[in-house]
Amino acid sequence: MDIEAVKQRAGPREFSPKDDLPEEYRKAATRMIQFHANSEIMGAYLERPFIRQAPSLDRKLAFSAKVQDEIGHGQLLYRAAESLGIKSREQMLDELAEGEGKFLNCFHYPMESWAEVPMIAFFVDGAAMRRQATLKRTSWEPYAHAMDKVCFEEGFHVKHGEDIMRELATGSKREQEMLQDAFDEWWPRIIQFFGPTDDKSTHHDFSADVGLKTMTNDELRNAFLNAYVPKAEKYGLEIPDEPRIRDNGDGTYEVVEEDLDWEEFFTIAKNDSPGSHEQIGKRERTQEAVEWVRESLDDWERASAGANATPEAAD
Amino acid sequence: MIWEVFRQEDAGEYHTHCGNVHAPDREMAKLFAQIQHGRRKPTNSLWVAPKEEIGEVDTEDAKFGGTTDKSYRWVMGYKDLDAAFAEEVADSESEQEEADEAKRARGGDD
Amino acid sequence: MAAEEAESTEQAERTGLGMPDDLSDDEREAVETLLYRLADDELVIAERYTEWQVRAPTLESDLALANIAQDEFGHARLWYDLLEDFGATEADLIFERDPADFRHATLAELPFEDGDWADAIVRSYLYDEAEALRLEALDGTAYPRIADRVGKVLGEEDYHREHAQNWLERLAADEQGLARLQDAVDRLLPAALALWEPVDEDVEARIDDLGIRTDSLDSMREQWFDRVLPFLRALGLDTPEGVREDPESFLPDHRGRDGDHTDDWPDLHDEMTRTYRELGRTEAHEIMPDPDEAE
Repeated sequence: MDIEAVKQRAGPREFSPKDDLPEEYRKAATRMIQFHANSEIMGAYLERPFIRQAPSLDRKLAFSAKVQDEIGHGQLLYRAAESLGIKSREQMLDELAEGEGKFLNCFHYPMESWAEVPMIAFFVDGAAMRRQATLKRTSWEPYAHAMDKVCFEEGFHVKHGEDIMRELATGSKREQEMLQDAFDEWWPRIIQFFGPTDDKSTHHDFSADVGLKTMTNDELRNAFLNAYVPKAEKYGLEIPDEPRIRDNGDGTYEVVEEDLDWEEFFTIAKNDSPGSHEQIGKRERTQEAVEWVRESLDDWERASAGANATPEAAD
Repeated sequence: MIWEVFRQEDAGEYHTHCGNVHAPDREMAKLFAQIQHGRRKPTNSLWVAPKEEIGEVDTEDAKFGGTTDKSYRWVMGYKDLDAAFAEEVADSESEQEEADEAKRARGGDD
Repeated sequence: MAAEEAESTEQAERTGLGMPDDLSDDEREAVETLLYRLADDELVIAERYTEWQVRAPTLESDLALANIAQDEFGHARLWYDLLEDFGATEADLIFERDPADFRHATLAELPFEDGDWADAIVRSYLYDEAEALRLEALDGTAYPRIADRVGKVLGEEDYHREHAQNWLERLAADEQGLARLQDAVDRLLPAALALWEPVDEDVEARIDDLGIRTDSLDSMREQWFDRVLPFLRALGLDTPEGVREDPESFLPDHRGRDGDHTDDWPDLHDEMTRTYRELGRTEAHEIMPDPDEAE
């Protein structure tokens, strides 16, 4: 199939591993899904200290379950990416550990206190869910299938995040202040979650033409604001003055783009902020430390494959 | 040799198990499967896999989802929060409720 | 209310001990001691397992160990809830308790060295074999509140043991894996002996006399040796010479059951309670229904 034919046929869940797709499509889809998968893993890195630091046993259980889900989503997504035939999961995980793999801007910042938890667990997860729901209609079928399970699970994450936020927002004055401080700090990053405005985004046009993406960055950001600004206000959070957000008066909002620090955003996008180095360094060390186990499993697999002499695997 | 057959009705849907065929190899299994399992029911694609290559774990061997309370990992575990503010959260909630009901109806565990 | 009371009394007669309010001081001390052993072990070992989340060798193995951690936390939750019968709160039992009052065996609290997956597997193997034995010894407990919950907890233990055994077999097949397992066994088998140590000799004897536990610590330790030593040896692993004949001489310096812990424990407890203290909380918020309410 050539790229014109791909654009012609592009539609929800239209292409699967049995289609003969041009490299341009397969590379673009790999880049997009690998980014998504990497983000699941790196988000989990940010949240894992709070399994330990959760202030009740139930919260600890919920946090452990949530981090577990994120790794599960990584598992689904790397497989969806792998099935495009460009890179193996091992390659993608190596790239992530070596600092070549890209991931969401929000996961490049440190998260230090419990009051920051809802910034990721409610707002960023909410934003992710908003985007993921639209990806159920992506053209790469294995990606859409991964989204079915991810979206099924994610509702728990958003509610868990909201529950923590509610507890802080209705807690002591100190807790409320900590929550507002965290919100002030994280809000611009959360807005940038959806990336630059459409005319600055380099990958959108092609991805939209071949059906990988079904909504633009701007549309997604606005859809997010429409649902989440009222939520923030409901919990008594004040929306920071900058970036300016215009209330269109019809239940929709708009962000004044130039109020956001795009230089920082693009530094992060290149994995080049201090936080990026810190997070990626952790990943590299911990992956390296268990390399011996993967080698051991590979040996076992080779030995048992030799013993069984099974027919070659179908894909 | 027995081959298990999985049918996908439309592009983008899941392949689900629909039966099996006896065949000496994969090529013959595909030929037989398309007639036996794809000749009338709507079919977009079929997969065949050797039966002996399929591993199974069932409720005799496993306690799927555990035997103690795991409501912390379900949307329904979080009370008095409105999911309707975002369609995708509400959808997840109803999908989870459905899954939970199906699980309970099956009477497996609690 | 009356029906409920009648049911409880009937159960109490059948199993020997009464409901929490009916216990004598001695009985209560015995029940509490046993529950602290169980709950603290489960809490602390699960806490250590979670260190592997996002750090396990593969994505699939990450999910599996995280699940085991959640199972064990869930079991701790059930046992702490029975301690709440005597008036304590979760805050008293976990977040505001002096670390020196915890009764878990030191095996549970030891930190993992980076990448030491062999430790995680050997530790869970030794622990879960012990766990199965002590739950079996609670199956016929004289204390009805424990009797109600043993089945649910046991239901999740088979997976834990299968998981550990399968990993052991695979890692042992490879030279490097075997060497790492051996190192873990050398360190952890003695540490695991602390699982069978008494909190207090007299109280442990009373736990047995009252039938709260149907098997003594010494007897369970024997059965544990019966299971564990041949299994490890069959994999090509050495176990300490003479450990069975004279376990006392292999015991670690700090055993935990008597409140004497390694320095790693107060550090861990400090981290676990950090948010709670930072926010000035006075109670631990629950999400799940009380285990007695959940069907």
